[in-house]
Amino acid sequence: MALQALHGVDYHCKKANGLEDDENVYLGNMSNQCQLYMPPLSKAESQVGEFLVDECGRKIKLNFAHGTTTLGFKFNGGVVMAVDSRATSGQYIGSNNVKKVIEINPYLLGTMAGGAADCTYWERVLAKQCRLYELRNRERISVAAASKLLANMVYQYKGYGLSMGVMIAGWDKKGPGLYYVDNDGNRMPGNSFSVGSGSIYAYGVLDSGYRWDLSDTEAQELGRRAIYHATFRDAYSGGVVRVYHIKKDGWVKISEQDCKALHYKYAEETKTA
Amino acid sequence: MTLQCLIGAKFNDFVLMATDMSHLQSIMVQKGDDDKMYKMSSNLVMAVSGEPGDTTQFAEYIAKNIQLYKMRNGYELAPSAAVHFTRHTLATHLRSREPYFVNLLMGGYDTNTNTTELHYMDYLAASVPVKYYAFGYGGMFTLSIMDKEYRPDLNQDQAYELLKKCTSEIKRRFLVNLPKFRVRIISKDGIKDLPHIVAEGEPA
Amino acid sequence: MSILAYNGGSVVAMKGKNCVAIATDLRFGVQAQTITTDFERVFEVGPHLYIGLPGLVTDTQTVLQRLKFRIKMYEMREGRKVKPRTLMAMVQNLLYERRFGPYFVEPVIAGLDPVTKDPYICALDLIGCPCEPADFVVSGTSSESLYGMCETTWREDLEPDDLFECIGQSLINAFDRDALSGWGAVVHVIEEDKVTTRHIKSRMD
Repeated sequence: MALQALHGVDYHCKKANGLEDDENVYLGNMSNQCQLYMPPLSKAESQVGEFLVDECGRKIKLNFAHGTTTLGFKFNGGVVMAVDSRATSGQYIGSNNVKKVIEINPYLLGTMAGGAADCTYWERVLAKQCRLYELRNRERISVAAASKLLANMVYQYKGYGLSMGVMIAGWDKKGPGLYYVDNDGNRMPGNSFSVGSGSIYAYGVLDSGYRWDLSDTEAQELGRRAIYHATFRDAYSGGVVRVYHIKKDGWVKISEQDCKALHYKYAEETKTA
Repeated sequence: MTLQCLIGAKFNDFVLMATDMSHLQSIMVQKGDDDKMYKMSSNLVMAVSGEPGDTTQFAEYIAKNIQLYKMRNGYELAPSAAVHFTRHTLATHLRSREPYFVNLLMGGYDTNTNTTELHYMDYLAASVPVKYYAFGYGGMFTLSIMDKEYRPDLNQDQAYELLKKCTSEIKRRFLVNLPKFRVRIISKDGIKDLPHIVAEGEPA
Repeated sequence: MSILAYNGGSVVAMKGKNCVAIATDLRFGVQAQTITTDFERVFEVGPHLYIGLPGLVTDTQTVLQRLKFRIKMYEMREGRKVKPRTLMAMVQNLLYERRFGPYFVEPVIAGLDPVTKDPYICALDLIGCPCEPADFVVSGTSSESLYGMCETTWREDLEPDDLFECIGQSLINAFDRDALSGWGAVVHVIEEDKVTTRHIKSRMD
């Protein structure tokens, strides 16, 4: 900071005439992550997704990880979160190995659904805010507060085309916490959520197998099964099934299993049952 | 995709079909005891959803033609032949000026081969045999439950319990209120009604 | 979304040494929803003669039924079996009949000539423009990835077993990059004295 000031770089540069100036380009969102450039359009609501057009005049899809299945639920033993790992653009599978659980800190996890860039960016900003909170207040941030920070940040950009449906889960003074936050500005606590194109299928398995008094392994298996069944039915979900479990002393990564291995394992179990 | 819900599942000795009993019109439930299943022959049932009007017209047209075939020839069309005829009719109308907008499930018991049959057919007349399927937005919630719990050797009570699990998920998660389901079983003994699946607090 | 991609599905055919192979995936879906995983879109229509019909499944079924009818009429009239190139002309006629309201299928034909035993492969577009290359043909929702796979894996004069490996690997690795195809595959390797049909297990997501 001090060296920066010596070189004459103003950390909080202002735009004098509303035009992009060198200094602003120089710093951008390095200083304030919540300050993003607005599109050079007269309309307040930009349709970033709509003015990208290819040589034939077809719209170029912007949102990368729209097809997804993620879920999280609270139970007796904490919070279980399970996700798939597929990223598609249109029908093309861009990757089968995306990390859709974002490890914010040892006690907080976030999931990704919607725009991959949007989710990774804002959850990284959230991670920074959570760390600052810890340094300032000498205690960990609550799940409620963390999720509200995120909700407030994305709400600022409502109407600008952010696309995210995330779950924030963790363990704080009040015990296990689970919140759903999306780009509309919704933020709600709950016992179980599923987000993404495969969520309807995941809900089917999750709801019919859910009990508050599940054992740890039962709960982990329920999350895994729900995601697996969603990957089977939903073309835009797949890859590996990742399961996380949040307990009193932070989150633990339980498993990362390829859908192919899981499918043939479950098929074998049904045959012998 | 429609708001109505059709469920069908084929087991070793019988086929179970369940359809919701709500007839929706605009923002209203116009009728609470609707029957979306049509008897095609003594061992074949068609469950239809889609554009109101088209559904009844199409189902009755097919049913009457199948009955006409029996009168002319003295024997009934086998389920697979009836499905073939239905697909042909739907596909022919698809490329006409007035296509039918109907999705359907046909469940039957073939008395010649002693096998159960269940066929999926959508409004484009793509027809495939399935072990189980559910049409409509409501049906999507049930597919993963069936994927997990379905076994071809379930007995009638176990199969009925599986259906109840599916309909209770529809009641829990689906936006539209579908409190009652009509259930029928098709086996070598023909078509029989089973008790309706009714949501708690709802008059049977 | 293209109407050709509504139900998903892909077909590929390859020439080998005195043999041809044709392979298909097994998914039948409606947009994102997978409905069955045992839907074969490659059909036997004559001795050593197969046709794959990827595209809109209702038209796969309609075209197959009408084609089978025409083949039977031909065989009765001519008193002999249909040759691959004749089949291609029949399919072309069938598709072009609907030039202004097409069937949404892009067929692939693979077979051996009943007289000369020459391998034959061909792909047509939805209104019947044929394409008869010397190496391989692809069609369906994974066709772009299939081109990439086939361009690198195909070689001249492959023996039947090597051809099976080549076509199987090409198809599976191509449809693993496509959300709308996959969920298992079937390969037919057509030789002069036999046809070998193999099912391949693949990713089911």
